[in-house]
Amino acid sequence: MRRLLGFVLAAVVLTQPFSRVAATEAGSAMPKVGDMAPDFTLKYVDSSGMHDVSLSQYRGKKQVVLAFYVFAFTGG
Amino acid sequence: MKNFQANLKRLEATDTQVLGVSMDSAFANHAFAEQIGVSFPLLSDWGGDVTKKYGLYSDQYKAARRVNFLIGKDGLIKEEQVDSAAIDPTKIVDACERPKLKQ
Repeated sequence: MRRLLGFVLAAVVLTQPFSRVAATEAGSAMPKVGDMAPDFTLKYVDSSGMHDVSLSQYRGKKQVVLAFYVFAFTGG
Repeated sequence: MKNFQANLKRLEATDTQVLGVSMDSAFANHAFAEQIGVSFPLLSDWGGDVTKKYGLYSDQYKAARRVNFLIGKDGLIKEEQVDSAAIDPTKIVDACERPKLKQ
């Protein structure tokens, strides 16, 4: 039981720096219309499992609407 | 995201792939997609690397700003909608339907 508590505490402590690191990195400026969209590879989960998606896989094939949203379970 | 789902038939008819991105975990996004009935991928930018690459990380909210990009087949950005303007995707959907975007 004590070991479990220790694990939970460690998990909480370890995930904390995430937000602090993020807050100190200003990041790059938002790309403008006419700019090349920065490539990326991200994951998503559906009923068949986890998949990778890269922006570059659509090059020459499809237009892409990339919709950044604030958090899941919010409107819009 | 629901607004894009509502327009998904129009978007798919114009050879357009819709991708949602947020800093939630892939599993939270999956639950969100199922709850609101979204059939396109909701990508997980856990840690925010891509959000920062796109200059959309908000210090105030510790999350992404709400922005829609329309990216052409050539990889160039064709349209943008930022913050409250991004809630209604009509401009993006209309742009997708333009017979030929300027290349």
